[in-house]
Amino acid sequence: MKFRQYLKDHWILFLCIFFAMLLISCLLMIMRLSAEGILFINLLVWLFVLIAILIDFMRKKKFYDNVFFNLETLDKKYVLHELLDPPRFAEGDILCEVLYQCSKAMADEVAVYKNHSREYREYIETWVHEIKTPIASASLVYENNKTPVTQSMYEEILHIENFVEQSLYYARSNYVEKDYAIKACSLKEMVGTALKQHAKQLIENKTVIEMKQLDHTVFSDSKWVQFILGQLILNSVKYQSPRRPLRLAFTAEKQAQHIALHIRDNGIGIAKQDLGRVFEQGFTGENGRNFAKSTGMGLFICKKLCGKLGLSIALDSVQGEGVTVTITFPVGNMHLPED
Amino acid sequence: MFKIMIVEDDATIRTELKTLLEKYGYLCIAADDFTSVPSAVEAAAPHLVLLDINLPHFDGYHICREIRSRSQIPIIVVTSRNSDVDELMSMNLGADDFITKPYHTQILLARIAALLKRTYQTDHEAQLEHNGVLLSLCDSTIAANGQTAELTKNELKILHLLMQHKGAIQSRDELINALWQTDEFIDDNTLTVNINRLRKKLESIGVTDYLKTKRGMGYMV
Repeated sequence: MKFRQYLKDHWILFLCIFFAMLLISCLLMIMRLSAEGILFINLLVWLFVLIAILIDFMRKKKFYDNVFFNLETLDKKYVLHELLDPPRFAEGDILCEVLYQCSKAMADEVAVYKNHSREYREYIETWVHEIKTPIASASLVYENNKTPVTQSMYEEILHIENFVEQSLYYARSNYVEKDYAIKACSLKEMVGTALKQHAKQLIENKTVIEMKQLDHTVFSDSKWVQFILGQLILNSVKYQSPRRPLRLAFTAEKQAQHIALHIRDNGIGIAKQDLGRVFEQGFTGENGRNFAKSTGMGLFICKKLCGKLGLSIALDSVQGEGVTVTITFPVGNMHLPED
Repeated sequence: MFKIMIVEDDATIRTELKTLLEKYGYLCIAADDFTSVPSAVEAAAPHLVLLDINLPHFDGYHICREIRSRSQIPIIVVTSRNSDVDELMSMNLGADDFITKPYHTQILLARIAALLKRTYQTDHEAQLEHNGVLLSLCDSTIAANGQTAELTKNELKILHLLMQHKGAIQSRDELINALWQTDEFIDDNTLTVNINRLRKKLESIGVTDYLKTKRGMGYMV
């Protein structure tokens, strides 16, 4: 709050005092008071007015400066009213009351949406668990009746299964802390489990698997990491090159602060102009236009989960030669996820 | 022969699982009355129980605890819920393993076999015999005509699988998948190499034309 602002706000008061003093001076002149006397009275009155103004200005300035300071430093600005010293003037009280009412109304509104989103997530989770039973029985029916017809239906079932998994992990991704246990996990085991999970698609596509230097232990949640690896594996299968058999290489390297896991394929790769956006929700790019089955969700969910797990994920590619995805695990067991 | 009891309320899964496990040489009984599963388990005395969590009357956790209070029989919990809490609950109540639906059959079979092996440690099926060839699993050798030859891990696994399903064709993909489940992530060419070596070893002990190729379908013994 600037002094000029304050003065501008009180111009009516000053104008009134000015005219009052002019009138009083005229009266005093009629009453034949000396010019010095009139000047003295004028000075005296203006001095007291100045003192009153300064005291009032300092009080308000202190309050409003505090308001702005808190506004700037606060992360969640809507709790502002909780942090203000009680103002000792009416406008301040009004401001505080307004802030309080507003933030309360907003909190109520947010609570409604929180409830909605929790209910929706719970529904999705239940739904996913329900649908897994028919998927399991359909897979068993295929296993017991292997014919070319059931074979192709089973492939579709595997697609359904993957989409269902995706939706479960997406629904959970905002609440990782509810289902999250950091343990020491072997990279080799996690890669192995992910490969076994998707063995059918990989073997059908005559995939050549390479695993090198995977004897590292990282601290993370194996279930989530396996899901992320699974998504990457399925991407490699989906975007394999028609000209050569799929080759998937898993290598790890230990650096000072982290362990990096590289997943390299020899598929069709990603166009240079699309590279920067592959982790965006719904982004499908050039490959998306050529492949009807792209949803733009897989890598988006991977990135989101990695963020929650405190891992970083990066993707590099040369179009026509393949994609390398790197997941970086921090070293040390004191690691905690963000948020 | 191992006897497995399936406790599952979904009728399709129950019958299909039964068919599948019987195909892989297990004897199966399925519970269809869910009011007294623990006593049914006790009466049937299976070697292993496959237990679903979502059941009518009593849930799987309750049944798991009841069974555990009476016997040490291995229990695999099969469920569609895959949160850590469910896994922890099952383990705390005495389950030996935890598999989430929709399980892949190869994984399910591998877990069952591993648990049975761990629990009973019998030399059950330590030796298989078919058409004059004796395969012994513990020292990984084949014997015929008084001669023996040693097999590598992959060769052993391949021949074991073929002999378990004697007279039936195993596709190349099925063989590769079975090897993958033992953490040998081999590819198509490696399988061909392994099969050829296996044939040579069979020939070296005087067995020819034992492992038949069914063109476009797979192999069989």
